[in-house]
Amino acid sequence: MTAGSVRRGMNRRRFLIATAGATGVAAVASPWSPRASAATDDDLAYANFGLASSFLLADFYGRALQAGRLGPAARPALRQGRTSSNLQARAVTDVLTGAGDTPATVEDFTFEWPTTALATAAATRQTGLTVLRAVLGAYQGAAATVTETSFRVLFASLAASVAEQVGALALPGTGVESFPVALDLEAASTALEAYLG
Amino acid sequence: MRSRLAPVLVALVVGGSAVAGANARSTATPPLTIYAAASLTDVFRTFDPAQNFSFAGSNALETQIRNGAPADIFASAAPLNTQRLFRAGLVDKPVTFTANRLALIVPKSNPAGIRSVYDLRSKPVKLVVAAPAVPVGGYTITVLRKLGLSSVLTKVVSRESDVRAVTGKVALGQADAGFVYVTDARAVSDQVTVVRVPAWAQPRVRYEIAVVSRSTSKTAAQAWIRAILSARGQTALRNAGFLPIPKSST
Repeated sequence: MTAGSVRRGMNRRRFLIATAGATGVAAVASPWSPRASAATDDDLAYANFGLASSFLLADFYGRALQAGRLGPAARPALRQGRTSSNLQARAVTDVLTGAGDTPATVEDFTFEWPTTALATAAATRQTGLTVLRAVLGAYQGAAATVTETSFRVLFASLAASVAEQVGALALPGTGVESFPVALDLEAASTALEAYLG
Repeated sequence: MRSRLAPVLVALVVGGSAVAGANARSTATPPLTIYAAASLTDVFRTFDPAQNFSFAGSNALETQIRNGAPADIFASAAPLNTQRLFRAGLVDKPVTFTANRLALIVPKSNPAGIRSVYDLRSKPVKLVVAAPAVPVGGYTITVLRKLGLSSVLTKVVSRESDVRAVTGKVALGQADAGFVYVTDARAVSDQVTVVRVPAWAQPRVRYEIAVVSRSTSKTAAQAWIRAILSARGQTALRNAGFLPIPKSST
């Protein structure tokens, strides 16, 4: 994830345009806010998980920045990761609200990081990659599972972003998987249970 | 100076005695009548055994207060019940005093082999829940919706009037699983196994408390609420497994 790619990254406006293109409708106010009746239970479940995961990732990046174990060279990537996570939390909040749900807020969570999680550069990378890979797996699963089009487009976009974050956090040459594994909600939830509190 | 100090001293004496009364009220002071959510049964009785308590589903208590029941304080497991009474002018402004989380409990024998909330979908289960109007019943619906498991509501064999009834049925092995508050699960930990509900699927469980408008012991009731909001009251709640007052509520 370079500075250039950051600037060209998916922001709310770009996503609106992309979604409109994918669904073949004009770019109206909020095409990622489906009718309440359109989203299924599974769609909403993935969105609720995605929201908590976005908050969790933002928290991780904030703590990693504060701990400073990865050194100054990593700060731009960590900052961008935090920004992306916050933007993604807003996007998922919007789809949940549009579907008639009451989205959680970050205050609803008490994240738990083991004392060793950010103790060294290696531990920080390992913790971040563990979380990112579980979230990536869930978003892949979501993109393949959900039925509401705007949800599917959103989850595909989120999966791409999280995959970029994996590449940014991994040591050079170590972050590439040919076929990252898609996870169902139970598996992804179990993988993050220790951190979500 | 004397006239300025007098009201302060009176307030200190009244407030001090009411807070002290949270442990043991003077025999000269009539006990308060406190209507409280069933999930508060153990912690409120331990915190202040000198008061008269009526524990039930918050929706039932709300109806009783609406019908003129002689309560001094109402403590609800959901803001909905206190806020409705507040809008009707039947209680003073409610305050949030604690929070909670949901858990799935199964009997120790676990005949249905439930190890995860997702097993509810794949296994034949006799599920017991609270009625939708009861706070914990509403929270259960929210949890299942967030988990993508609303379909398991077809496996419900009984809808109970409060959380204690749900807990009792599972503890006695009359159902394979039930959704209760974490605090209720702790109370029967020798009879049930707790299956964790993921944090991301938890509903926002907030408890509110208010003085009932027609109470004839308003000063004492206000002091009791201050006591439950105090460090000692919050410690008692924390020790019983309740969560601290959420930041968003302060």
